[in-house]
Amino acid sequence: MSAVICTEGLTKYYGKTLGVADLNLEVKKGEVFGYLGPNGAGKTTTIRTLLDFIHPTRGRATIFGLDTHRDGVKIKKQVGYLPGELELYKNIKGGEFLRHFAYLRGGVDWKYVQELAERLDFDMSKPIRSLSSGNKHKAGLIQALMHKPELLILDEPTVGLDPLMQQEFYRIANEAKKQGQTLFISSHILPEVERICDRVGFIRRGKLIKVEEVLDLKEHAFRQIEIHFANPVSKEEFENLSVVKDVRVEDSVLRFTVAGPLDAVVKTAAKFEVINIISHEPNLEDIFLTYYGGDENAAS
Amino acid sequence: MLLRNIFLKNLRDRRKALFWWSFGLVLYSLFMCAFYPTIQKSAVELEAYMENMPEAIVAAFGGADNNIASPEGYLNVEYFSMMLPLMFIIYAIGFGSGAIAGEEEAGTLDLLLANPIPRWRVLLEKFLAMVGGMAILSFMTWLGLAVGIYAYDMDIGLGQLAAATFSSALLSFSFGVIALAISCLTGKRGMSMGITTALVAGTYLLYVLAQVAEPLEKYQKLSPFYWYMTANPLANGLKLGDMTFFIGTIGIFLIIALFAFQRRDLAV
Repeated sequence: MSAVICTEGLTKYYGKTLGVADLNLEVKKGEVFGYLGPNGAGKTTTIRTLLDFIHPTRGRATIFGLDTHRDGVKIKKQVGYLPGELELYKNIKGGEFLRHFAYLRGGVDWKYVQELAERLDFDMSKPIRSLSSGNKHKAGLIQALMHKPELLILDEPTVGLDPLMQQEFYRIANEAKKQGQTLFISSHILPEVERICDRVGFIRRGKLIKVEEVLDLKEHAFRQIEIHFANPVSKEEFENLSVVKDVRVEDSVLRFTVAGPLDAVVKTAAKFEVINIISHEPNLEDIFLTYYGGDENAAS
Repeated sequence: MLLRNIFLKNLRDRRKALFWWSFGLVLYSLFMCAFYPTIQKSAVELEAYMENMPEAIVAAFGGADNNIASPEGYLNVEYFSMMLPLMFIIYAIGFGSGAIAGEEEAGTLDLLLANPIPRWRVLLEKFLAMVGGMAILSFMTWLGLAVGIYAYDMDIGLGQLAAATFSSALLSFSFGVIALAISCLTGKRGMSMGITTALVAGTYLLYVLAQVAEPLEKYQKLSPFYWYMTANPLANGLKLGDMTFFIGTIGIFLIIALFAFQRRDLAV
């Protein structure tokens, strides 16, 4: 399969501050690639380099096999972009903004724009000044989608969306994938990436630590789990399970970390009277530390 | 539809400002003419008054060859030597420094440039919008003056009036393009405004001081105000030679702006 996005030793310094270092990344045609990392890891730097807003200090990037700097205009015809910190023209209406961008792009089917607006429940007649951040986000999404681009580059696309709109976004992302569009999505939320992506690249402090299939990730995905029992339980019962780590017991509450399938844990717990099970999603730092030992040089 | 391209969108963004600027300029131009009959009556005293002024002050008002009792002299001294270019310059610097850096600071530039449009094209459309804005203001000024000279019976040709207004606009637009270039180099609107304003004050001072201070005389040609003040298009019409300095300045700084903007990392 051909690479849609390809970076070769891509490095960006802002003066002496590191943006990203020696980034070798490949996003295949038709896949949904999650670009996962904490805030300030270099996600936006990577994306802004891909769109030729900033220029690499070293290395280069290609999209559709074309150089992002030399052939930027050609590339952008087939790219939809949603910035992380979205700002829109405040002095026009939502619909006017979309109309303006449709003109600037050329060849946009206005019916499709209306369709998107309807789906996202976006009111085009309201001045942008008066829109909530969620509604502004919808306008941003629509402009990214309106020309049915081959590649969507979305920087933290669900930040600021309410849960319902998040679901709608997931549906739209899924459809885009089904239509053969390639998606590059940055995020700092693991479950979100697990949910919509095929592959995940972990980035931390400007370095790509690992690229992994989401299916593999799920297999050894770990969570902190808390089980509340009716009566005090003993630690030993659970410590012997291979998927379980860091078991602690306080009276009738059992806390542990689990990596892999939950089956054995559930069956063991079922021997006792269970009152509640609470699962905490791990934060990114914990994942990095647990799986990659926090080793910054362990690029894949 | 005013959203068809960046050029029209930029003029549209400024349509309210353009309206009020136009309104103000038409009125002000009319008022300037309306005061002419009064000035004319006290011509003798004014002449004497002007004669006693220090040379630098006279130079600041457009030079000694202006007879304030004549319609051309009056408009040169009272309007074209100071007030009109000042207003035009304020407008041009505001437009020039904000055209790119304004969007950059507002955070809308990323999204605009995600469209398949090269940066130079975005810049040129914004530059053309500046030209358009200045053209509208110039026309309105000319219109106000044209009505004024007709109403108050001042003997100046409409062509000369147009030449003088155009000359003012050209001077001011040069500073606008310098502001544009600085904003393209730095991405900072405030800095661009500050530096260009300082440049206006500095080159103006250079021109005025050069009239009285011998050692500065050889540098006066560096000042746009020298070229502007010595042309006197109201009396002589505008010749190509009078405009070369400004066309050159505009050309050079537009090229600087294009190169700077094409290469620079955009701020988030």
